[in-house]
Amino acid sequence: SLQEAFAAGLLKPGMNVLVDKPKKLVNNVEGLKQCLADFRKDLPWVERLDLTNLPAANIISQAEEKASAPAAGELDADDDFQREMFFYRQAQATILEAMPLLNRHSIATKRPEDYFAEMAKSDQHMQKIRKKLISKQMIMERSEKAKKLREQRKFGKKVQIEVIQKRQQEKKAMMSAVKKYQKGMTDKLEFLEGDQKMNKESSQGSKKAVNKKGPSAKRKYKDQKFGFGGKKSGKKWNTKESYNDVSGFRAKIAHGKGGKKGKGGKQNKRPGKSVRKKMKNRS
Amino acid sequence: PTGKWTNKERVLIFSSRGINFRTRHLMQDLRTMMPHAKADTKMDRKDKLFVINEVCEIKNCNKCLYFEAKKKQDLYMWISNSPHGPSAKFLVQNIHTLAELKLTGNCLKGSRPLLSFDPKFDKEPHYALLKELFIQTFSTPRYHPKSQPFVDHVFTFTIADNRIWFRNYQIIEEDGSLVEIGPRFVLNLMKIFQGSFGGPTLYENPDFRSPNMHRREMRLAAAAKVREKQMVKEMQKGKKTSAKEDLESDVTADVFLTPAEEKPADIQTEAPEPKVVKKKQKAFKRQRMQMLSLHRNQYST
Repeated sequence: SLQEAFAAGLLKPGMNVLVDKPKKLVNNVEGLKQCLADFRKDLPWVERLDLTNLPAANIISQAEEKASAPAAGELDADDDFQREMFFYRQAQATILEAMPLLNRHSIATKRPEDYFAEMAKSDQHMQKIRKKLISKQMIMERSEKAKKLREQRKFGKKVQIEVIQKRQQEKKAMMSAVKKYQKGMTDKLEFLEGDQKMNKESSQGSKKAVNKKGPSAKRKYKDQKFGFGGKKSGKKWNTKESYNDVSGFRAKIAHGKGGKKGKGGKQNKRPGKSVRKKMKNRS
Repeated sequence: PTGKWTNKERVLIFSSRGINFRTRHLMQDLRTMMPHAKADTKMDRKDKLFVINEVCEIKNCNKCLYFEAKKKQDLYMWISNSPHGPSAKFLVQNIHTLAELKLTGNCLKGSRPLLSFDPKFDKEPHYALLKELFIQTFSTPRYHPKSQPFVDHVFTFTIADNRIWFRNYQIIEEDGSLVEIGPRFVLNLMKIFQGSFGGPTLYENPDFRSPNMHRREMRLAAAAKVREKQMVKEMQKGKKTSAKEDLESDVTADVFLTPAEEKPADIQTEAPEPKVVKKKQKAFKRQRMQMLSLHRNQYST
């Protein structure tokens, strides 16, 4: 058929692309209008409760003064949030318009408190929904807490390091000042006082109970001997030296000749019955 | 306050065989939302749709929502005014049912809905016809025995991207705070017919692409990509292995030749004379240094 057309001089030489005939789509406007006229029911508004309106003003975008592109014609169906907000605002505008109308026709919108009727979703289902929402909230809270804790720990660690460093620096300064004094380079003893003054002030500020000597000597000895957290690494075991050390050996006590603490016991010992009798007879 | 139920609308909601769980739940949800709806068993003949009119007559319904599932993938929805009226066929997409946990609203079962339409529905005749169909089908008649007298939810129909988006919101406060109840779906218009499930076509949607064509296009695009890649690979292979032509004369050989001037050809027959080199008599270093110091002393004193 192409060759025939070419022969007839209709087609020009060169590439001839086969073009689809544009499909003729039915748009019977007259028919549609007629149909609508036949079919429509002129019901009072109360029966239909329909409204046609644009969405209500977008408060958020007004506040931010964004150039909100969507007039009705430009709604981008792919931007989920924008699209859903559009639908939401359309519904809002409907409600705002409809409320006065409904009131005029005395149609109630609020349910009275004691009106119990079946709901579209069962109570069980609503409970499931509520549980899910609560669990979501909990997860969020937990993650927030964890984040905060992490931050705090980092911060705490920083502070700790700073404090230690400060202490070391102070110690260093003190030692060098003392040495200077010892070497006679400075004859002022201000560094001591300065330190004490600062110490007093700081201790008044801090609430720590300052026990200068720490635990008493007795406590220290007991800790060392019996404590679990004291000096470790074999201090409670015998060594060669400790084993050969017989300085703690008291022969008398060891051989049981000490008696009652040697001779000391009771100085005032009460005499026996016979002796007391004799004394009594004498006096 | 009861009154007489005058607006006798009844909607028959049923489906064909081969629907999946989501469609079934959607149907049930619609029946829950619309107290003036009736259910029927599945229809197993998909080709003779006009029998639906008879089913409607038996059930005394004057509207029908018929869900047709094809290939266990695509869902089509017919909405029709039963004996004579117009009907429309849609492709249904993005179905979310009442049971989804993200749709947290709730409403009375059988309460009357407000209907909210996009102004675009009034701009085209086919949309105007659809709007009338939706109003008659979805609005619950007043004083219907199964209905509740309160108005506590709103259906929205919006046109975006040449499709009709349906949403259902619960009215919480009268100032307009809403929560979505569900279900939600998107309708893609295919055709509008003058009769119920038949009759002359009044409107055809030019932007509609059937799901089959859509899938086919995707597959063709993927295939075309693969084929292109293969072709490119083959061409590269061919280039590598093909014998290269041997050039006899290099065309670019004399690009950089600059013809020099002709010099007279001197032929030397005699050897050139040896050059006389004046040899400097240099003293040894030590002697030089001594001389230098002498020189300096002379000048300094």
